[in-house]
Amino acid sequence: MAPSHNVRILDGNTFVVSEATGDIEATPIEPAGLFSIDTRYLSKWVLTVDGERLTALSYDDLQYYEARFFLVPGLATHYVDAKLSIIRERTVGGSFQETVTILNHDEKAVDLEIRMDAGCDFADLFEVKDEILNKKGEIYSEVEPDKLRLGYRRGNFIRETIISSSAPARYDRNGLAYTVHLEPNEQWDTVIEVDTVALGPGGRDLRIGLQLHGSERVALQRDLEEWVAKAPKVNSEHGQLAATYQRCVIDLAALRFSPLSLGGATLPAAGLPWFMTMFGRDSILTCLQTLPFTPDLSATTLRILAALQGTRFDDFREEDPGRILHEMRYGESAAFEEQPHSPYYGSVDATPLFVVLLDEYEQWSGDVALVKELEQECRQALRWIDDYADLVGNGYIWYERRNTDTGLENQCWKDSWDSISYRDGTLPPFPRATCEVQGYAYDAKMRAARMAREFWDDPAYADQLERQAAELKERFNRDWWVADGGYYALGLDPDGRQCDVLSSNIGHLLWSGIVDDDRAEQLAHHLVGPRLFTGWGVRTLAEGEVRYNPIGYHNGTVWPFDTSFCAWGLRRYGFAEEAATIANGILDAARFFDGRLPEAFGGYPREQTKFPVEYPTACSPQAWSTGAPLLLLRTMLGLEPHEGHLAVEPRLPVGMGRIEVLDIPGRWGRVDAFARGRLDLHKLAT
Amino acid sequence: MDATTRFFEDLDRRGYNPRLAKSSGALRLDLHEGPQTTHWLVRIDRGNIQVSQEDMEADTVVGASPALFEDLVTGRENGLAALLRGDMTVAGDARLVVQIERIFPGPPHAQGPHRYRKGVR
Repeated sequence: MAPSHNVRILDGNTFVVSEATGDIEATPIEPAGLFSIDTRYLSKWVLTVDGERLTALSYDDLQYYEARFFLVPGLATHYVDAKLSIIRERTVGGSFQETVTILNHDEKAVDLEIRMDAGCDFADLFEVKDEILNKKGEIYSEVEPDKLRLGYRRGNFIRETIISSSAPARYDRNGLAYTVHLEPNEQWDTVIEVDTVALGPGGRDLRIGLQLHGSERVALQRDLEEWVAKAPKVNSEHGQLAATYQRCVIDLAALRFSPLSLGGATLPAAGLPWFMTMFGRDSILTCLQTLPFTPDLSATTLRILAALQGTRFDDFREEDPGRILHEMRYGESAAFEEQPHSPYYGSVDATPLFVVLLDEYEQWSGDVALVKELEQECRQALRWIDDYADLVGNGYIWYERRNTDTGLENQCWKDSWDSISYRDGTLPPFPRATCEVQGYAYDAKMRAARMAREFWDDPAYADQLERQAAELKERFNRDWWVADGGYYALGLDPDGRQCDVLSSNIGHLLWSGIVDDDRAEQLAHHLVGPRLFTGWGVRTLAEGEVRYNPIGYHNGTVWPFDTSFCAWGLRRYGFAEEAATIANGILDAARFFDGRLPEAFGGYPREQTKFPVEYPTACSPQAWSTGAPLLLLRTMLGLEPHEGHLAVEPRLPVGMGRIEVLDIPGRWGRVDAFARGRLDLHKLAT
Repeated sequence: MDATTRFFEDLDRRGYNPRLAKSSGALRLDLHEGPQTTHWLVRIDRGNIQVSQEDMEADTVVGASPALFEDLVTGRENGLAALLRGDMTVAGDARLVVQIERIFPGPPHAQGPHRYRKGVR
């Protein structure tokens, strides 16, 4: 969506997307701005000196919450003899703060007119790719002696941007200006404060009590240092692995998000910049990936999703009792119910995955109290699977949207409109079922059975769940197996016809445990075979399928998160070399992105492109891409909680050399894991 | 009797609500209409509920119009959307209002999941 020269900084869900000069000029093609709670608070922010725009010599995004721009006046052709330098330093931490410094390098004194143009369209995040023409409310701009107030009012919905300056400024409706006299070698600076306000009629901000990190730069810095210090350390001979890990830990810190009104607890938001909010699926899968490294995220994610678990039927929001939410938003379109995100429940995988995460979290942390605390929510989730998700009445989880205007057609992770198809390329009718979700349901029941037996004191319920799971597994292996391909169908239509394409979803089935043992080897061959494996990762849809396209969003691209779950699945069924092969591919790919894997990259064969081709509209950093290297580390090292201690059974490729992971937290306290690469992958790949 | 009164009397009479089993605290609702404000005070102790009409300090103070609250307790309006719009306000611990919002009913004409029957769309 945003070209790579765009600079992004953020704190929670307040973030800035700007040009390399620091300027913001939002257009539908370049959706730049200062954003908070899903609303744009600045759509114009342009600095000029004597009426001239500035040129960037360089910029640094120092940390995720701060950036610095070095600028000179004029266009690139004649800045070489510039006598002025301009430095913009900005921080996002609750509010947005920019320090502008101007240095005079001339031997003469200068008189300068400095101006910051400021304006805002108060676009909802869902509008930023459109021309903003017909806002239903009123946009206003009020000049006060010491500040400029830009605002938007629609009924009681009020959003304001308040701009003030430490150096005296002249404010007008379109910005603020300074007249500055600078002697030779003198410098001038000002701190411009931009507050984003979301007011209710009582004059109180919606977000009171939410300043988790504190908004001061020093507090942000300390918070990040503590976060990094708390995570395990990774050292490796493989040049980039430790750096990739470090990048991921910092990006996870940046992606932490504190939902309104839930007491300051944080969970991973889905992705920067457009998905800095709570997504059931993304948050849960990211927690599963990162459990060995940042387990606290799991506890808060589980609690928050439990607090907002569905309790009633609501067709607009697709809420049912027991259902776990899909997406929460705070902007105008959610407030006025033009979009259903208050919250929206249209996903079928978040609910079983909620149960899976709780069990996995307990196995690592030993936090029995949380398993007891969330017993009722787990039972409700399992009831949803049986009572409300089985639309066809044959024991599977199905979906068909009830909100036909703004709801999602495909309510699985591959949620684009054309992601589920038959082998001839046609799309099945609704309701639809996809295979990986049945795997998650199986896993949820097996894991809930363990929790019921060990912690809920309900062995009868445990027996019942295990019986249901066994029946589901038997039924699934009968109905979904594509005999002429040796894999499971991607989906079923309501008449039981298979969407018989080969897809990455079979990797998730291995992870869930629903695969019959005697079929696992065929799946493993597919996952490292030429139709699915590109050399970098696993294609979402196999080469050779009618809808295959190497840059098809869910029809051929490689998603690092998806591949990481495939690797986990392979390892679960004992295919350690195959797991290491695809893990190695993704970790190699990460080097091309300085350790920050994008949402997706092209499904081209590795030999053909030599580098992974980034998918054009991908969000970055994205939580589950950030989690992928962490899950791959876990997979390659064979880290498993086992009877109260941490088992380590490394299977690494030779090229990885020696890896050590120090201070892995869990019920065992903190322990270290060491591994050395011994697998010769070339034998396998050929 | 209006729906708001019915809602609170019902809450008080039942005494225990399992959905609020993890909640504790006092929430006061201020229903403003012109110069007049009606108060409802809900005390929750791990799911045990007592309702009164006292105007007392509370952990959470919620403000709304009587008409909006009628719509909330009958499912015609959604609580979280009303909060985002600024039609309902919160001061203090916002978690309590999110928890109580969960016990409001869904929209009166909601159909719930569509069961598939072959040939019937």
